[in-house]
Amino acid sequence: MLFLKKYKKYEHPYITTSIIILIIIAFLSLFAPLLTDYNPVRNDARNRLQPPSYQHFLGTDQFGRDVFTRILYGIRTSMEVGLAVVLLTVIFGGIVGVMAGYYSQIDKIVMRILDALMAFPGIIIAISLAAIWGAGKLNIILALSFAYFPKMARIVRSAVISIKDLDYVDSARSVGAKDSRIIFKYILKNSASPIMVQATFNFALAILDEAALSFLGVGIMPPAPSLGAMVTDARTYMVVAPWMILAPGIMIILAVLSLNLLGDGLRDLLDPHLKNTLKK
Amino acid sequence: MRRKIKITAVVLMTLVFSLLLSGNVLAQEEDHYGGTLNAALQMSVAHLDSDNSTDSLITAMMNHVYEGLFEFDENLNLTPHLAESYQIGEDGLVYDVKLRENVTMHNGQTMNADDVIASFKRWLELNNGGQLVSPYFDRVEKIDQYNIRFKFKEPYAPFLNILASPVSNQKFVVRAEEVVNEFGSDVIDRHVGTGPYKYEEWVPDQKLVLTRFEDYSPSPREGSFFAGERIPYLDKIVFNFIPDAQVRVSGVQTGQFHFAEEVPRDQYSLFEANPNIDNVIIYPDRMSMLIFNNANPPFDNKYARQAIAYALDFEELGYAMIGNPKFWRLEPALHEEGNPWHVPDAGKGIYGVYDPEKAKELLDRAGYDGSPIVILSGQDNAMERQGAIAIQDQLEKIGVEVELQLFDRPTVVERRAKKEGWHIHLSPFIKIVPDPQIHQGWTGTNKWISNWDSEESREMDQIFAEMLKEVDQEKRYKIVERMEEKLWDAVPYFNILDYSRLHIKRAELKNFKGSWQPFFWNTYLE
Repeated sequence: MLFLKKYKKYEHPYITTSIIILIIIAFLSLFAPLLTDYNPVRNDARNRLQPPSYQHFLGTDQFGRDVFTRILYGIRTSMEVGLAVVLLTVIFGGIVGVMAGYYSQIDKIVMRILDALMAFPGIIIAISLAAIWGAGKLNIILALSFAYFPKMARIVRSAVISIKDLDYVDSARSVGAKDSRIIFKYILKNSASPIMVQATFNFALAILDEAALSFLGVGIMPPAPSLGAMVTDARTYMVVAPWMILAPGIMIILAVLSLNLLGDGLRDLLDPHLKNTLKK
Repeated sequence: MRRKIKITAVVLMTLVFSLLLSGNVLAQEEDHYGGTLNAALQMSVAHLDSDNSTDSLITAMMNHVYEGLFEFDENLNLTPHLAESYQIGEDGLVYDVKLRENVTMHNGQTMNADDVIASFKRWLELNNGGQLVSPYFDRVEKIDQYNIRFKFKEPYAPFLNILASPVSNQKFVVRAEEVVNEFGSDVIDRHVGTGPYKYEEWVPDQKLVLTRFEDYSPSPREGSFFAGERIPYLDKIVFNFIPDAQVRVSGVQTGQFHFAEEVPRDQYSLFEANPNIDNVIIYPDRMSMLIFNNANPPFDNKYARQAIAYALDFEELGYAMIGNPKFWRLEPALHEEGNPWHVPDAGKGIYGVYDPEKAKELLDRAGYDGSPIVILSGQDNAMERQGAIAIQDQLEKIGVEVELQLFDRPTVVERRAKKEGWHIHLSPFIKIVPDPQIHQGWTGTNKWISNWDSEESREMDQIFAEMLKEVDQEKRYKIVERMEEKLWDAVPYFNILDYSRLHIKRAELKNFKGSWQPFFWNTYLE
């Protein structure tokens, strides 16, 4: 928690704003059942396409479902997907990156494979995997993690390479520390900041790509709420029921923007070179 | 004397006036002529040979170029068109058709029996409708230049209705003999018909251009939909293929198109507010079918199938699937109100009766074990997608666990062809069917549609066999009543509701009639 010591609320407005937004979003998604009386999937088609009102804070959709309720549960889905993808990419990207960075024999083979994977845009890999495996939350999480982990592995690897020849690692080795101790105690601990920054970006990207996959119809299966799927459905009604597309759209923007700001802020905060230039 | 002059003057005045008036009327009639019509259709076609395709859009456009021996009017009455009259003899084994004389074709020649016979033979061999007829058909004979005899081996009651069928590509149209001989079974790309417009240019995926045929010989009957007089007021008709609905809409809004096919129903009020745009809601010509997989439990038992009909709130489904109640209506029968085959009291006591308790009872009776029900449906069509979601919701309310499987069209077709893996499937069917046996969906009960193979399905086969032989309309109607009754008892599939599509047109396009396929004869631009 090194970075918390460096963090000062007023010197880093990006981080502060984004953390506030993220706390609100997390609150909304965690306490969704308490914040609304409606069920996100139950229909009431006789009250379809109702404009925002006292009963329906953000109106209703084409099935008469409360849009606000669906957004609460939709952001929940986004958060679940985002967190799971970040965990998986950090674990797998971390393992592959450390192995490749620390053992140069493995490096040559593994990195060429990862280069090949990175030649495809992540979203294309995710779409094809989701199309092959079928739609569903778990499949999306796996597909997105598979698409993102090469980049994570590459970042970890370069951090490991730059750290593994530093004096304190050499001295640890000279006193006879085992590889595992060196990796966990000296290398990983000191390469935490690029991993953390990349993880934040991955979180944002995962939310965006989950929305994109659901928008394309290979994501979360209806009727389960998802922000991307809500945008797809709303397209047809854009002219007659603009609240249907605005609400989930704004929610996606807020979530992704705050995470990106947080990532940028963290990078500024944790990068010693950038920090010096900023101070001048 | 003076009085006489007065009278003469009055008579003269009246004469002059009436002449002026009639001149005026004539002039107005003349005024209707001219102009180029731009229509935006939603899909492109692969070619323009209706016999070689199952695409109903080909027939829709080429109806302007080709005409049938028989056509349907507004009330789905079969009307002789290129035929003048017909007679059915020998208990439905012989059809004598007399052709209209002096009908000029686009190549300048007069249509005669040779053209009709050549086209008919090709239709019988290639067209999907012809292939339905051919097992029962014996031969076609030329009696003289304008008289033809169709002979059957076995009675086949739907024959004339199939000849004029608006469903898919089944309609029989008359082409010039020389063209039929030139192309044989290949795709025809030189079009010589008898219609009010002739083929001018086709740019694949972009447009089809038709121009007025000056020597057109209209039918002497009064114009009504596809039957009777077809007056080509417009100089030119351009069919543009515009797959994106919003582009079609904005094209009409800006005046680029005079007509757009199938636009989003939810924008209805928007169009209504625009004085330049008219909404054309066509007669509900689609029905949403709920189809059971009758091969597997629980729906191999009729009580389980009946239970679903009781478990669903059809009205709520209407709002969820289609939306605005202007565009749908509840209809238990396979044929709509106004159709000669409509059975008014079909499904009485079960259709539209929302009774969840009875549904649970029937499910128990059928021995339903609570395993999840798989709904297989398309995800691109709003009716299929939203219908499946709404049905899932309603079944879950009575405690049935439902798994939703939404796929693109090809995947759905592939999966529903299998016996396992699905229980309920939603599909839109064409409603305007002029014969109880024209639609392939229910001409055979054991087809893909239901995997229905039991005592009940064999009884239904029996009913269908009787219907096929009965040429007397009234007796045949009685059989149709029995069919509807049987269908609502066994419920291998059922109609949830009928729904309309929405077209829009510019206000300056006059006398446009919204029919199951758009047509532009008798319409004019102001």
